[in-house]
Amino acid sequence: MEYIVETKHLTKSFGKEKAVSNLEMKIPKGEIYGFLGPNGAGKTTTIRMLLGLMRPTSGSVQLFGKDMKNSRIEILKNVGSLVENPSYYPHLTARENLEASRKILNVPKKRIDEVLKQVRLHGVANKKVKGFSLGMKQRLGIAAAMLHQPELLILDEPTNGLDPSGIIEMRQLIQSLPEEYGMTVLISSHLLSEIDQMATRVGVVSKGKMIFQDSIETMRKFAQASIQVRVNDNEAAWRSLLANGQKADIGEESVTLQAEDDEQVAGSIQYLVQQGFSIYRVQEEKRSLENIFLEMTREEQAG
Amino acid sequence: MFSVINSEWFKLRKSKVLFLLLVAPLVGLFIGLANSFIEIEGINAWYEKLIMMNFTYATLFLPLISGVFAGVICRYEHQEGGWKQLLALPVTRGKVFLSKYLVLILLMLAMQLMYLVSIYLVGMIEGITDPFPMDIVWKSILGGWVATLPLIALQLWVSIAFKSFAAPFAINVIFTLPTILVINSERFGPYYPWGQPFLMMNISGSTEDVFFVPWDQILMVIGGSFLLFFIGGYLYFQRKAV
Repeated sequence: MEYIVETKHLTKSFGKEKAVSNLEMKIPKGEIYGFLGPNGAGKTTTIRMLLGLMRPTSGSVQLFGKDMKNSRIEILKNVGSLVENPSYYPHLTARENLEASRKILNVPKKRIDEVLKQVRLHGVANKKVKGFSLGMKQRLGIAAAMLHQPELLILDEPTNGLDPSGIIEMRQLIQSLPEEYGMTVLISSHLLSEIDQMATRVGVVSKGKMIFQDSIETMRKFAQASIQVRVNDNEAAWRSLLANGQKADIGEESVTLQAEDDEQVAGSIQYLVQQGFSIYRVQEEKRSLENIFLEMTREEQAG
Repeated sequence: MFSVINSEWFKLRKSKVLFLLLVAPLVGLFIGLANSFIEIEGINAWYEKLIMMNFTYATLFLPLISGVFAGVICRYEHQEGGWKQLLALPVTRGKVFLSKYLVLILLMLAMQLMYLVSIYLVGMIEGITDPFPMDIVWKSILGGWVATLPLIALQLWVSIAFKSFAAPFAINVIFTLPTILVINSERFGPYYPWGQPFLMMNISGSTEDVFFVPWDQILMVIGGSFLLFFIGGYLYFQRKAV
């Protein structure tokens, strides 16, 4: 598989503290990769190393199959980025801010108007960025990141400070990039719902370690509903189900069925009734992605 | 490389501080006009003006203003994450450092040339009829500029290192103010980097040398401190985490 981003044993220590530890990130081409983790988990530190803004303590970063250490310039020609808080020159206007980058990137001047339109800032192009709201600064940052139509776009918390309609606009824009321009996108966030709505792949990081990395579908499977059944004698019912070859767990007040579809649920209930159990409740419990995320990060913290 | 310089110049130009370049030449002009001069027979009247004007200009304003510009050229990078944005672009840190340095030294050259205009204006206004001593004035202008090169390198280094604008400026003042005392010392004067702009512009210095100080002093003190400050700043910037 061709990976646009691949890190190997990536580690960054600040003194004794390991901000990033043995992180193996793999992003295939054309994906929207959601980089998820609580605040302070090491997301921004990782992104800084991906951009060569910070040197790893050990391990390597490869973008487009090239090593960051040796081909930094070549790599960065194809990377657009927005790191942490939006970066800008307060004494310049929106257009001038882009112009300062454009001179270095050597792209045609008309790109400035194009990206300003894409993020809907063309109306305030000639206003000083100093007076912009956080959301506008954020959008300017995204415009700057897209100026040279990079193959890889790295956006650190891109919806920070945006209002709900701004978030939706941004989401639509980001989702259109892989299809329209063949871009690969890395977005970091501490909000699962945001990643859930945009990403095609997810990497969950906690305390500097990658604790989950797979497609969003795989993650959603964890969230599948389970059926809880409360009967007069939970333990006897559980044993009876197991004896019958059905997967079940015993809880404090109920038996949890691990059923894949409705038919299986029906079969299990029917079986319990036939065995003479009194069924008090049958209820569906949905584990939200949020819960899974919390459990994942909690396990990591406990361990 | 040119594109990085171009971008740097663009950012600096828009920061509306270029008028500061006029301060030092205007002060020179003012000093030149404020002092009444006594015509001494047999001595070119320009010399007297030059000695008077060069003193304040070279001991104070040239080093101070160069430090201010080094501060400004880094300030907008420190303010709102400019370093991050700039260094995530396909540029090497070396080029960024060199571009900022080149823009600074070109600005100082421009300031020296404006000072040259100041000198000439003073003479015109005062009605000096003696021939304009171009052969010594150009040495003074160019020499002063060369002597500022290491100071600019140090100021750039310090300005990159400190996020605040005040810290590098304070450091610059601390080293610049004692210049007036140090240059009077036979022992330490020739080795004090902040004293070099004055010594290089001091037209009453030794006349046997091409500039007003001996070549080995230029190479050792100015050249040496330039290498030290430039390479130090360059390496520091390479390693700096942003």
